[in-house]
Amino acid sequence: MLFNSGIFLQFFAAFLLLYWLVRGSLSRRNWLILAASYLFYGWWAPVSDSSEANSADALVTAIWHCRFLALLVATSLFDFFIARRLDTLQSPKQRKYLLAASIVANLGVLGFFKYADFFLHSATDALNALGLSVAPRTLGLVLPVGISFYTFQSMSYTIDVYRRELSATRSLTNFLAFVTFFPQLVAGPIERARHLLPQFERTRVITLPMVEEGIWLILWGMFKKVVLADNFAPLADMVFGDQTYSAATVLLGTLAFGLQIYCDFSGYSDIARGTARVLGFDIMWNFNLPYSATSLREFWQRWHISLSTWLRDYLYIPLGGNRLGSTRTTVNLTLTMLLGGLWHGAAWNFVLWGLWHGTGLALTRSPISNFQFPILNSKVGRSLAWLATMLFVFYGWLLFRATSLGQITAMTGALGNFTAPAWITSFVINLIVFTLPLAAMELWQHKTRNLLAPLALPRWLLMTLQGALLTAVILFWDKKGATFIYFQF
Amino acid sequence: MKSHTCEFTAKALAPLVGWPCVVVVAFAVLMHAGASLRLLPAPRPTLDTERTVLLHQADAAQSMHDAEIILLGDSSCLMNISARQLSTELGRPVLNLGTFSFLDVNAHAAMLRRYAQANPGKLRTVVLLMHAESLRRLSAEPYYVEALTNFWSGQDHFTTGTTAGQINRALGVDIFKGRLLSRALPLPLGGAYGRRYGFTRDLESALTAESGSAIDPDPQPLTGTAEYRLAPTLEKASRTLRTAVPPGVTLFVGMTPAPERFAGARYPAQQAGMLRQWADWLGATALTNLPPTLPDADFVRTTHLSEGVIPAYTSSLAKALQQHRR
Repeated sequence: MLFNSGIFLQFFAAFLLLYWLVRGSLSRRNWLILAASYLFYGWWAPVSDSSEANSADALVTAIWHCRFLALLVATSLFDFFIARRLDTLQSPKQRKYLLAASIVANLGVLGFFKYADFFLHSATDALNALGLSVAPRTLGLVLPVGISFYTFQSMSYTIDVYRRELSATRSLTNFLAFVTFFPQLVAGPIERARHLLPQFERTRVITLPMVEEGIWLILWGMFKKVVLADNFAPLADMVFGDQTYSAATVLLGTLAFGLQIYCDFSGYSDIARGTARVLGFDIMWNFNLPYSATSLREFWQRWHISLSTWLRDYLYIPLGGNRLGSTRTTVNLTLTMLLGGLWHGAAWNFVLWGLWHGTGLALTRSPISNFQFPILNSKVGRSLAWLATMLFVFYGWLLFRATSLGQITAMTGALGNFTAPAWITSFVINLIVFTLPLAAMELWQHKTRNLLAPLALPRWLLMTLQGALLTAVILFWDKKGATFIYFQF
Repeated sequence: MKSHTCEFTAKALAPLVGWPCVVVVAFAVLMHAGASLRLLPAPRPTLDTERTVLLHQADAAQSMHDAEIILLGDSSCLMNISARQLSTELGRPVLNLGTFSFLDVNAHAAMLRRYAQANPGKLRTVVLLMHAESLRRLSAEPYYVEALTNFWSGQDHFTTGTTAGQINRALGVDIFKGRLLSRALPLPLGGAYGRRYGFTRDLESALTAESGSAIDPDPQPLTGTAEYRLAPTLEKASRTLRTAVPPGVTLFVGMTPAPERFAGARYPAQQAGMLRQWADWLGATALTNLPPTLPDADFVRTTHLSEGVIPAYTSSLAKALQQHRR
């Protein structure tokens, strides 16, 4: 189910009513969340045949897609019982084996669905390049939506239990509800059990400011998705779908994609947090004005925070982090970012994107970067640092969005071609019109250092602003609901 | 254990949910009032490729123009002929008013009437060009016919068949998009048209620069049914178009080429018979010397020629017209 679809509005309205009706019982409330989350997930069509989600026989489709639901249930159950056993076992060796079993199972399922075809395809290419004639053969697997998100969320639980940072929950319902909590099930944020799981175990107090925050985030998130991201998308498609490029189209197309992916993903994360807030839950912020970063390190502290902190805590630090010398730090950083890139999808451009950022982060830790240039503390210096960071990040988006290595080469080469198509003015007009509201809001948030800055407005002004956002969402609403980019990961 | 407690009252919650809805309603009222009181510009919903082409041609048909020759027809007329080149070869100004295939001969007749009214005494020749595939269609698509007539009458075009359409209408969405958004912002075109023409405004500029002609940038495999016949409704529509031709104006009719191997060996003879019958209904001179087929490789789809072939086909049309003028 898509947040920006009519069916979700109906689903959420019905859910709120039932949620209110079962307010007297915590266990019934958690059962309701679980059932609703499975319905939300089951309703979703996998990436390759998403058109079915809008067809009249959506219910039949939903039942058919229950096979993906079964996978979700199976992996959750496996982790629940592994964690229970980890909690009671004392032998470090046995505990290690058990954790290894959990990790192998989780990554095995993820790897099978996500990477099997990629590796088969790459192996075939490699063998053919060596002169061995091998017929291309793939398994044609359909990627279950959200698998990367819920697998990582579930894994973090077993790892935390193994580390004794968390006790295994005794309630299967609570655990299943934690893994499948519908606001963040298919595209995150990747929640930590120690933050979200206890919220299923206690009575919550829902206050008016929480509802205010929730409504604001839902509307602002919807605006970012429906009005901004979905209007940046055709601009990016126009450039990346073409085969001839110039410096102007590459720069503007990449800029459009960078804005699209930000509005799309942060819009989703805002709606997720807002929805959870209205229900009395607190889930983490996934974005914190990433395009205001003045260094690559800062960018990764602000972009997809739940994934970058996950990778930090469960991969980078266990690898040794920065404790084992500069060479090892560089290797750890590059490896972490490479795997972070591969997490997004099984394609060489994601590998390149990960390497690009890994190398960039390693360079920012090199001895020369520690040298204090006085100019960097001035306003001009900070502006230059911001510009350099954005150029680095946006070239990364080119690597991310490109569909082949050939396209990356062609687009990079076109940066020396100073011609422009006839439609460039219209492109720039669109880019400016849709960037302005985003830039205005982010400047305000940046200046006040408050992601919820609009909530400080006088009540009537805030509600009028919300009305304007709602109107804009209705005006640009696509009844089919354009899918979110991160659903494919 | 209790699930949750709400530390607020329904009264406190009501404005949070209600006020944004009030703003939406106020916007809808503003849009409807603006449209009714003619405070907003007239509708021109050039929101996608189809409607941009349709409304550009509809606007051209009702505008002052120096064209003495106009081309009417389906997408094969729009995409297969270069009006500018034809004008050069014939030495007389030419305007292409071809549209997509969702319109029928009745709509082309309406275009012709509009042009004749807007440019009295200018017109000398009307050339109606359609593909055999379009001639078997029983009727035009009501959505586009309505879009055309609404545009000419200055009415908003609403999609009311669905609940979403009715909600859009009530909330003033169509008014906003058709009167303000399409005028204020060039909107990106999808797919191959986007890559070739860019945005709605750029497509309009290209159509104006090319005197109404366009190029199909979207190659498709040659699919469909090679069954050609004249729809029973075509006779009445053709006679209607005849009545729209002003006195003293010559009406020519021709059929645009089909892919040779796709159409089959019997097609040229069949096409000649169809053209004779159609010209008879129209009371027009049949352009029998236009090639009925061209090699399959010359097409980007069953009805549209590739860009490189258009000049040669335009020349053959120019020659065919010149032969009749002599």
